Amino acid sequence: MARVIDEYVTSLRERLRGPEHVKEDLLAEARDSLDDAAAAYRSGGLAEEAAQRRAVADFGPAAVIAREYQGLLALAHGARTLRTLLLVPVAHLGWELNRGFWVGAWPRFDVPPPDWYLAVARANDSAAWVVAAVAVASLLAGRWLVRRGVAAGTLARLAGAVSAVSVAAVLSGNLAIMTATALVDAARLALPPPVAAATLVPMAIALRLAVLARRCLLLTPAS
Amino acid sequence: MSVKSAYMKSDALRGHLDALLLATVDGGPLHGYAIIEALQLRSGGVLDLPTGTVYPALRRLETAGLVTSEWSTVGGRRRRTYRLTRAGQRALAAERTAWREFTTAIEGVLGGGPWPA
Repeated sequence: MARVIDEYVTSLRERLRGPEHVKEDLLAEARDSLDDAAAAYRSGGLAEEAAQRRAVADFGPAAVIAREYQGLLALAHGARTLRTLLLVPVAHLGWELNRGFWVGAWPRFDVPPPDWYLAVARANDSAAWVVAAVAVASLLAGRWLVRRGVAAGTLARLAGAVSAVSVAAVLSGNLAIMTATALVDAARLALPPPVAAATLVPMAIALRLAVLARRCLLLTPAS
Repeated sequence: MSVKSAYMKSDALRGHLDALLLATVDGGPLHGYAIIEALQLRSGGVLDLPTGTVYPALRRLETAGLVTSEWSTVGGRRRRTYRLTRAGQRALAAERTAWREFTTAIEGVLGGGPWPA
């Protein structure tokens, strides 16, 4: 039994990295196409192995074809990373609800806090929503750009950059409000353990996003 | 055919691949290999490019929202079939108009004999 098609699909698989279900879906389709082509050559009178060789030759060199598929895998990963950014406001809202449950409304300040403190607090509260809006806008812009013929790999890199900047904005917002609170009224940082522990959830999401954003760049095919 | 003209043909083809793919699924949903056969058949065997490049191009069109695809069973085998979306129909109509204008313009210059006649 000739294994030319098997070997070709394996060599494609070894070259591809990215979301596993997307990868297997692409490979299953490639395999179908190769089987169809080989069947057509067999019915034209070629022997099994020769038919498979012709089918593989028609499909194109694995290195070249893999590069095109790799762009798609990077793009699928980029879109997934942008969708994951939508978790940021959910985590923020969850944290606030949890804090409301354990602490209630923030106590009033003894002396009114300076304007800059309120500005930092407002910026930190809105950062999560801005990030979500940017993610939705990027997904829509990506669809528009792919229609204009922008390469999948370029879009994946853009998605990675947008996500990295978003994560950096969210983390700096968190850091800024904590530092500012420490300066203005350090006692407020002494949160009950369930509230302090809940802080780990948005942090874990941010770290996960940082990893996903970095992978957008790693998965992009070398141009 | 010389190597050079074969290369030029595949290069020129690449720029039109998206429109050609949209045109092949205009008549109804098709799976990938049927799209490749349709391209070869409708071009009289002249359009001949690595078949492996057709699939990434189809997926890119899907990402762009111009086609949708799904796994279905055709003739007892599972295959991924592609169909044109409304946006795809609009894009194809625009491509056809642009192509007609282009060929009319080129024909006006290249098609006749020496000018003025």
